[in-house]
Amino acid sequence: MGSPFSINGGACVAMVGKDCVAIACDLRLGMQALTVSNNFPKIFNYGDVYLGLTGLATDVATVSDLFRYKVNMYRLREERNISPQTMANLVSSSLYERRFGPYFVSPVIAGINQTTGKPFICGFDSIGCIDFAKDFIVSGTASDQLFGTCEGLWEPDLGPEDLFETVSQALLNAVDRDALSGWGAHVYIIEKDKVTKRLLKGRQD
Amino acid sequence: MASVFSGAPPQSGPGYSFKQTPTEAPSGTRQHGFYPYTDNGGSTLGISGADFTILAGDTRHTSGYNINTRYAPKLFKIGGEGPDNKGASIVLSVVGFAADGEALKERLDTIVKMYKYQHGKPMSVAACAQRLSHILYGKRFFPYYVHAILGGLDEEGRGALYSYDPVGSYEREQCRAAGAAASLIMPFLDNQVNFKNQYVPDSGSGHELQEKPRTPLDQNHVLELVRDAFTSAVERHIEVGDGLQVMIIKKEGIMEAFHPLKQD
Repeated sequence: MGSPFSINGGACVAMVGKDCVAIACDLRLGMQALTVSNNFPKIFNYGDVYLGLTGLATDVATVSDLFRYKVNMYRLREERNISPQTMANLVSSSLYERRFGPYFVSPVIAGINQTTGKPFICGFDSIGCIDFAKDFIVSGTASDQLFGTCEGLWEPDLGPEDLFETVSQALLNAVDRDALSGWGAHVYIIEKDKVTKRLLKGRQD
Repeated sequence: MASVFSGAPPQSGPGYSFKQTPTEAPSGTRQHGFYPYTDNGGSTLGISGADFTILAGDTRHTSGYNINTRYAPKLFKIGGEGPDNKGASIVLSVVGFAADGEALKERLDTIVKMYKYQHGKPMSVAACAQRLSHILYGKRFFPYYVHAILGGLDEEGRGALYSYDPVGSYEREQCRAAGAAASLIMPFLDNQVNFKNQYVPDSGSGHELQEKPRTPLDQNHVLELVRDAFTSAVERHIEVGDGLQVMIIKKEGIMEAFHPLKQD
């Protein structure tokens, strides 16, 4: 059997724009080459923060539930939403806790810090090492392809509409060259006081 | 017993200068290995247009994390006259195991030159493409470890591009990326050359959506795409970099250019 990261397949990407961020994922769930579901979103919302999780599907479900619990506890104690930066550190320390028996996930965070108004994205490896990026973060079985498309299409200071087009094209064309990803996509465009969620059809093969 | 603790090698064995080398005669079974292949990294890319074909490849040559040289061409002119292929109109690009690439180029070049000598006319790209397939399949059970791309102009003067797997399976295409960064470059090309996932605005919804029609691309625009594809690949792949060798095949002949890439 292959790597736990590539049994179920899936892809996720986050991008920074001008006063906005985007995060997008595909919808496929597979067992090796067999597609089991075409409605398995990998982006989860925690107040102001969006978390994308690719990798082993059972861990995607477990980790997303774990963070729902942790973020709810944070909100009860602090009486405010968790900021993207704090969420990043929470994800990092939670993953490192499992240093020698990790969750097989590659998380991506996107959000706008409501106190500073600044866009924020970051990515992690499966044991919590944070990758702070100014431009874009990719993860999943189509990460090579996403690196190519993002590096080729992304430019600084894109407005919300242009960022939507860029992130969508980057994701769709990347997953079309990966057999384990695709089957439609979810795209979130996050602005200071507006979030737009769009469903992309994409190729169904 | 004293001899066990003295640093001197045993009298019977040869006197080695390295402490780590075994000083006793080898015993038991030993496995020998010969690995006839190495991966020399790098990437190539070809795009064909209405009346031209562009081939490009980076010039970094690696073994593992080592850079052997910053200028090792992966593009070769095939046919023409003499050792510098004067008047050639076919280009072969090879990526993978550089020694096999060189050997393959040498074989194909000889064949194309012999063809002209015997038939009194230059070989067509279609014929050359099929011949290359046969050369590769001829070594089906000890393959040339390369991903080859062949470019030229077809008999109607249109850009022609053929891509191959290591054992000779081939196909004529509009564009193709090969080598280490193929997975990075190919989806970008799908989008920018074949307009994949692009639709005509307001042309309907769902299955009524009209795909953006594929129009022949302008030569300068294609060259821009090629350079963009490589600068992107250089950013994210350690085996790609140093320099970009570009060949543009037109009816007037082959134009060759070199562009520096990042060396880190």
